[in-house]
Amino acid sequence: MLPGGTFLVSFVLNLTESYVTSSSVIELKDLQKHYGSTHVLKGIDLTVSAGQVVGYIGPNGAGKSTTLKILIGMLPDFTGEATVLGMDVRTQALDIKRRIGYVPENAALYDTLTPMEYLQFVGQLYELDNAHIERKSLDLLRLLQLADHANARMTTFSKGMRQKVLLISGLLHNPDVIFLDEPLSGLDANAVVLVKEIIRQLANSGKTIFYSSHIMDVVEKISDRIIIIAQGRIIADGTFAELQQQRPESLEQLFAELTGNDGQTMVAEEFIQALNL
Amino acid sequence: MTTPILYILDRLQGVFRAVGADYGQLRAIVEVKLTMDNRRSIVSLGRYGKQSGENNSNFTRILGIYTFVGGLISLGMLTRSDSDRMFFPLTLQFSYVMSLCAMTLISDFSSVILDSSDNQIILPRPVSSRTLWLARIIHIASYLFAIALSASVVGVLIIGYRFGALAGILFLIMSLLAAVLMVFLTNVFYLVLMRFISEEKLREVINYFQIVMAVVFYGGYQLLPRLMDTETMITEALEHQWWHFFVPPMWMAGAVEIVIKPVIDPTHLLFLGLSLFMPFAGLWFMNRFLTANFTQTLINIDQEARPSALAQAVPSARGSGPAWVERLSNLVTTSPLERAAFAFTWRITGRDRKFKLKTYPQLGFGLAYVVIMSIQGQSLGSSGFFYLFALYFAGIYVMVAQYQLGLSDNYRAAWVYGSAPIREPGDVLSGSLKALIIKLLTPFYILLAGYILFRYGTDKTPDVILAFFNSLIMLISAALLSTRHMPFSVEQDAVKQNNTARGLVVGLVLGVVGFSHYGLTLIPYGVICAVPVSAVMFWVLFRQYRRTSWTQIEMG
Repeated sequence: MLPGGTFLVSFVLNLTESYVTSSSVIELKDLQKHYGSTHVLKGIDLTVSAGQVVGYIGPNGAGKSTTLKILIGMLPDFTGEATVLGMDVRTQALDIKRRIGYVPENAALYDTLTPMEYLQFVGQLYELDNAHIERKSLDLLRLLQLADHANARMTTFSKGMRQKVLLISGLLHNPDVIFLDEPLSGLDANAVVLVKEIIRQLANSGKTIFYSSHIMDVVEKISDRIIIIAQGRIIADGTFAELQQQRPESLEQLFAELTGNDGQTMVAEEFIQALNL
Repeated sequence: MTTPILYILDRLQGVFRAVGADYGQLRAIVEVKLTMDNRRSIVSLGRYGKQSGENNSNFTRILGIYTFVGGLISLGMLTRSDSDRMFFPLTLQFSYVMSLCAMTLISDFSSVILDSSDNQIILPRPVSSRTLWLARIIHIASYLFAIALSASVVGVLIIGYRFGALAGILFLIMSLLAAVLMVFLTNVFYLVLMRFISEEKLREVINYFQIVMAVVFYGGYQLLPRLMDTETMITEALEHQWWHFFVPPMWMAGAVEIVIKPVIDPTHLLFLGLSLFMPFAGLWFMNRFLTANFTQTLINIDQEARPSALAQAVPSARGSGPAWVERLSNLVTTSPLERAAFAFTWRITGRDRKFKLKTYPQLGFGLAYVVIMSIQGQSLGSSGFFYLFALYFAGIYVMVAQYQLGLSDNYRAAWVYGSAPIREPGDVLSGSLKALIIKLLTPFYILLAGYILFRYGTDKTPDVILAFFNSLIMLISAALLSTRHMPFSVEQDAVKQNNTARGLVVGLVLGVVGFSHYGLTLIPYGVICAVPVSAVMFWVLFRQYRRTSWTQIEMG
């Protein structure tokens, strides 16, 4: 074989390699996690490519938030492999964090600050330019109809208003991958539509979105791909249409069935009986 | 104080960069934390109390008190004519600084140190463990430095005046180093604790530790002046013993002595060496070894809290609160509603950390105060009057608890009083008060009475019984006279504490009751005859309290 041939092969291999790493934005191999003696994740295998909107759903305590926390580099003591944007979650957490956005559940923010102060603070943590943050924050707040409250302390904010501020704070640095934990909780109907549309357009512009949710009909409508986990394992993975092909019900029923919670009607009946005792 | 701190930080940014922190992020975190402290009614800063608006006037007031007490301690240094005898006063001064710092760190900043709210907000951002750790240390240290400065400012002036500017500056530096050393020791203390006990337990342990500390410090303030009276100990030039090298305040004192005596010998050089070396070694050690695990420990705090909460919830769901509470409540209450309120109050007062922190130290103070006053054996303690006075302490301190009974962090849960069909809220109030009397007042009173009987003789038994009923009357009067709230229904900060007014009224009642009691002791059989009268009066007042209607209750 010609020496140039090897070179060419290795070049092509390199290309494919870099192609693979850049297209699979999230990669989990046999991800396991223990909290003390509880086995929370029992081997998650997952590949997500760029531009996908992935809905990650499962019953309470299934390991959704844990998976998200591992992916954003907050929980380095897991077994298995996890890479985001081709970087190892364990060793390159800081580099990953610079390029991802995370919106936590339960509206955790410093509510004695005003939205502008809070966003300024978050921007500084990403080492963004102050004037730039200010302009951008104001624009984004205005678009989410919080312009009037931009300089009011958030202690008095409703859950929906906080959620909007959190959403902005997670997207402020224009991340490539966005992790959302229950992004729609507390939002009013109009805001839900708006945020759904924002998620769609973010994906269209090439960003990857990975979110967990309980609101099934929303998951149905905006996800390119739905992953259902229960008791630390993936039990279903595919587009809504694919999942539907297996069983032609609504996602809600499907979810109940797959997570071993069918027979809700029966439980409800028993509930009523117990009430009447 | 945000601006001056940031100004100082800006001057020092090279140092922070050198130890591997990102200065921009560090500054942002410290700035935000200080801003929030100024706005929040700082629950975590406990005694610094509540404040509104953009100021920290309570903290300033606390600093003022520290300055004043520090000044009193420093006066000891003025009276020593001779620079040979400065070692003990200096040691005292540094002990003061260090114990203030330690007390602040353990009681007021424990929630700041163990704060896990950063997890959700800062950890997902690209902030390194070291930067976050440094930011938190600086946040805490800025308060400690303010405390150390205020505690030693008078001392600095006195030393500077008597022994020259150099000595003053050295004294100042040593005070700040003392603060640094305490940060290190407290951090080690927490990390060691965290190694051995889970988070939930840790909070519990710290809670009790705070209660003990509060009592110890109160006792210490009472005892210290008496110790200082032992003139010989202070006036004699101290011979240095080997164990002095293990007492940090003595290092600092020894170091300052070098300049004021002046003296240079191996002993003093060793003191100087220790006082310079240990704080920096501590900082280096923390930066080198403790930061790496810092964020991880923080995350674990969050994680552990959940499963353990779950595990505990399961057994306690079905009456794990001992069955005897149920039985006791059946015994002392008359209606189901009252019973519910009794059991509810009984359980919450045993579990709510904030309630415990606010009431138990008070009870401890009360006991410590009575014991110390009676041992002191001076005018007040030995008079036939004092034991009467002491007996009423229980009532006073339980009044504080009665006041706390309306407050809770979970005040939102009080909607249940509104939605449940409660016609007579008085039943809830009376059940709640009964729990307080049986759980707090009675045991405390028995303890107190036991001590009084032991010290002043068993012939005081009628007095003890009368004082018990009178304490009950005082308690019920306080409950009747103050705004009535449903148990645990008002936000901690929401209530305007008109403590001064309350204190005056309580003092007046105490005076009247106490003097009438004293008057009765002068009449033969007076006390014994008064017992039933007092008991009936309590019963009447309690019935009155139980008839409280909705219109008399203020909801939070």
